[in-house]
Amino acid sequence: MSTEPGAVAGQTGRLASLRGALGFLGTGSFRLALGTSAVLAAATLLQFWLIYWRTTAYEVERADRLLDREAILMAAEAPADLREQLRLWASSDLHLVITVAGLFDAGRRPLAGDLRDWPAGLPADGAIREITVHPADQPVRAVRAEAVPVAGGRILVIGRSLRNLQQIRGIVLAALETALIPALLVSLLAGAWLGRRNLARARRMQRAIDRIMDGDLHERLPIRDGSGRGGDEMERLAVSVNRMLDRLEHLMDEVRGVGDDIAHDLRTPLARVRAGLERASRRPALSPAPQAAALRAAIDRAVADLDQCFAIVTALLRIGEIDSGRRRAGFATVKLRALAAELVELYEPVAEAAGHRLLLEPGAETAVAGDPGLLGEALANLLDNAIKFSRPGGVIALGVRGRGGDVVLRVADGGIGIAPEERVAVLRRFYRSDKSRHIGGSGLGLSLVAAIARLHGARLAVLGGDGSAAAGPGTVVELVFAAGAPA
Amino acid sequence: MIPYDAAPDPEPPATVPRRVLLVEDDEGIARDVVDELTAHGHLVTWSQTGPDGLDRAMSGGYDALVLDRLLPGLDGLALLGRLRAEAVRTPVLVLSALSAVDDRVGGLKAGGDDYLTKPFAMAELVARVEALLRRPRETRETVLRAGPLEMDLIERVSRRSGRSLELLPREFRLLEYMLRRPNQVLTRDMMLEDVWHYRFIPQTNLVDVHIGKLRRKVDPPGEDPLIQSIRGVGFMLRLVD
Repeated sequence: MSTEPGAVAGQTGRLASLRGALGFLGTGSFRLALGTSAVLAAATLLQFWLIYWRTTAYEVERADRLLDREAILMAAEAPADLREQLRLWASSDLHLVITVAGLFDAGRRPLAGDLRDWPAGLPADGAIREITVHPADQPVRAVRAEAVPVAGGRILVIGRSLRNLQQIRGIVLAALETALIPALLVSLLAGAWLGRRNLARARRMQRAIDRIMDGDLHERLPIRDGSGRGGDEMERLAVSVNRMLDRLEHLMDEVRGVGDDIAHDLRTPLARVRAGLERASRRPALSPAPQAAALRAAIDRAVADLDQCFAIVTALLRIGEIDSGRRRAGFATVKLRALAAELVELYEPVAEAAGHRLLLEPGAETAVAGDPGLLGEALANLLDNAIKFSRPGGVIALGVRGRGGDVVLRVADGGIGIAPEERVAVLRRFYRSDKSRHIGGSGLGLSLVAAIARLHGARLAVLGGDGSAAAGPGTVVELVFAAGAPA
Repeated sequence: MIPYDAAPDPEPPATVPRRVLLVEDDEGIARDVVDELTAHGHLVTWSQTGPDGLDRAMSGGYDALVLDRLLPGLDGLALLGRLRAEAVRTPVLVLSALSAVDDRVGGLKAGGDDYLTKPFAMAELVARVEALLRRPRETRETVLRAGPLEMDLIERVSRRSGRSLELLPREFRLLEYMLRRPNQVLTRDMMLEDVWHYRFIPQTNLVDVHIGKLRRKVDPPGEDPLIQSIRGVGFMLRLVD
């Protein structure tokens, strides 16, 4: 074999393009069309066989009935008339009913009619049989025939041709051809067309997925209309995949942002620690007692700053732990109202010490599925925030209420409030509004609450207060457990 | 906030030194723990691997065990299970990385008595080990008495030197917890965990506020203060019996 490499490549290329063009053969749509065609063919064949079978039965029955009637009529004729009758028959209408006829003597020798020989396989018992006859001057034909004894010891043989039946068979087969073959062709063509179309769609989706895998997380699977509601299963699948991609992209963005935020938020206290310790070590020597006191103060400040670093790291680890979803294993029925009452009891002295009034709005007990420890922690964080960001004299109201089937856990304060444009941002890790920069904390309280809400399938919403509080615009934070949510 | 022992307030060492076995593979943490517990007057043995720790623990003679969750050779919880299966009842404090959530439940199920997540403050560890060494008074009596304090658990009334203290239910619970553990350093985390059954780090000085309220009722001006703050660590109910 001395095929040039180029030719081989060209051949392979042609093969590949052929495979590409015939790719629809492997699609689900085409296979479905193929299956449908097979079933269609089988059903049509069965239907035509039934028609043919019924027609045959009818035709045979009709032939037999006619033969019997003629036999009775002819047997009733006088012997001499019968011979005359047969002669007449050859040129009469009767020929249409009786195809062949013959009169034989007792020794089965022909006397009259167009049958010159006694037909083989026909006993003279008056029963109708399907046989082949050889009439004079006529082609061999299949007939229903009977032999009946008539007057004078003679035997009359009459037969009716089954030519009608053969014609019907021809018609049925022709009809079958004209009905089935175009139907099959149309079905297969439609299958091929649908297959090619779906294949093209699948290829477009594949290309989109390839681009996503190459790192372009903004890419989405092609969708015909935005909603995906009216679409077929492929469309709905694409919509689901796109939703998943949205979530992934969001998480990736968050992770990317978090890296920067952690670095920044840890850098600040760490820089303070370093500067403080450096200052302390360079301090000019004082007499021992003030020296010790100064060092002590420097160390205390450093420890406080390191504590803040610790708090940030701890909160981050905790958020990661909650987001891992493993806590879901410990879900139980949590009575939200009882939990809220517990938290009010825990935080009442703190609120009081800060000059706020903490109260639980009246209402009925409501239960959700969840982790009581985590839900308690979420509420504690919300109360911490409410206390921290309220001016003294404010009222902090904790409520558990039903709203259109949902269960809403609500903390409302009359504090400094959160600007509308910042209400989504505050749920981000580390976000701290400019107004609150001077107030301590890891800055992760709401992020932690958001993580706990995610774990419970609940929605965390930050709203503005109604502005009725004199102390400030106020903030309302709601944890909404949707009705029937798989919490 | 992580408590930090800014002003070591060394307790008078127990008259009989207590023996503590530490099973921990990280040398740095182990060294710190050994130093800290030794400074508090305990005799500490350090074992670096699971099998070795198991051998030592089985031989008995320890008053408390500090057990890391992840150990070379033999997993900490497996070790604990083997100990309990052999009816060794030495109280155990389990240490573990914070991210492992189910660990706490698993650790307590396997027979641990307390659980501490890394990173932890040394003062917290010492307070918890000492709590294990002096198990709380679980009496069947319905009236607790110590020093000038008296609590009737049925009637829910408490008195100091015969004078009734008007305590809210939450204050009553807190005082009862402290009265069962007199002269013992109690950290804020321990209180939040044991009295309120919450295990998170509040952003506010939650426990301090509760203690402050209780203190105003228990320690009126002019009387010896019973509830003492241990700087950077927690609180103690100091009673001289």
